[in-house]
Amino acid sequence: MHRETPPQAVRLLDAALTCIGRVGLAKTTLDDVAREARCARATVYRYFPGKQQLIGALVEREVANFGQHLLAAAAGAESLGDAVTAIITTGADALVGHPALTFVAAFEPELLLPHLAFERESAVLCAAAELVAPAFAPFLPIDHATRLAEWVARITLSYLCCPSDHLDVHDVAQVRALVDDFVLPGFLRPAALEGITP
Amino acid sequence: MSGVAQADPLTQRDRLFAATYRCVERFGLGKTTIEDVVKESGVSRATVYRQFPGGRDELMLETVGWELSNYFTRLADHVRDAPDLAELLRSGLWFAHRSIGEHALLRKIMDTEPERLLPLLTTESARTLPFIADFLLPYLRREADAGRLRPGIDLAGAAEYLARSILSLIGAPGRWDLEDPDQVGDLVATELLGGICVQRNDP
Repeated sequence: MHRETPPQAVRLLDAALTCIGRVGLAKTTLDDVAREARCARATVYRYFPGKQQLIGALVEREVANFGQHLLAAAAGAESLGDAVTAIITTGADALVGHPALTFVAAFEPELLLPHLAFERESAVLCAAAELVAPAFAPFLPIDHATRLAEWVARITLSYLCCPSDHLDVHDVAQVRALVDDFVLPGFLRPAALEGITP
Repeated sequence: MSGVAQADPLTQRDRLFAATYRCVERFGLGKTTIEDVVKESGVSRATVYRQFPGGRDELMLETVGWELSNYFTRLADHVRDAPDLAELLRSGLWFAHRSIGEHALLRKIMDTEPERLLPLLTTESARTLPFIADFLLPYLRREADAGRLRPGIDLAGAAEYLARSILSLIGAPGRWDLEDPDQVGDLVATELLGGICVQRNDP
């Protein structure tokens, strides 16, 4: 969402988020959103011609907020290891703590899962890589920062979708060990910079 | 065979899985009924329910699990004789990517009823991760014995990391072209084994 989003549209998006967190994506209607935002149905239609457009705008805003939240968390990082660890733990916390997302994941997985497999997951990973790459750019050339960001998105998703008995993806010290042992060494080799970047 | 000998329950299950699989190819995951499977397999309705007390849902879930374990068995057979871990991962990623892309039924279900398949795949990946990790562990030990592992590497941790990496890449290649041997080689050397194996051009 752009900065010039009218305040009423912001209120509608906030209301939609509340409704989805309460009853899910399928059951949320534009009427619910109007009621939650305490405005007329006509107002909803003035900003969003239909539910699909409203949800589209909401996803776009939430993704942008998520990206800003992640970059802010990594902004003070003094090393690449700090930055990667901050991105993974902050990302995992934010995704698990997002009420609308957790409702959909728990009760409407059929709406979420298609985005987490095959071609559509590839698109999600590529978008996540672009979103997060600036956090690693102070430490790596940008193409390698993007490549690392894609890998970090995979690792985070893997631990979120399929929790481990050995590693808590919300625990900074444990994630730091994973990052130092397995994720980063390949990227820090001098030879890595001559590698192929997809 | 004649006589009253009890049928091997494993064989019977396999027959049911194969029959269910054929039905799903024909009708899809959503429309296949227990009646279809009874007709296709020649196994009685009562036996189907004895084998799968949860009925249709259990049969579908177990059939997806059965086909996945067939898939990973084919993958394991393909890479078994690789000379080292890096080559095993390279040829495994290539083969896995190829064979999932050519998996006609999976493609069909993904196109027509992904909402039915994906929850099953998610449940299954919890089983698949330890399967891949266990498969990799002896190869990691072999690398350790050959002195090719970085010092202090926890083998079980490395196996889990690699299993997650592989499963993620099979599910979605993302930015990578897994048909390109140069890209796969770089991916294996950097993302997968960078922290695990001593690299040839390391100091």
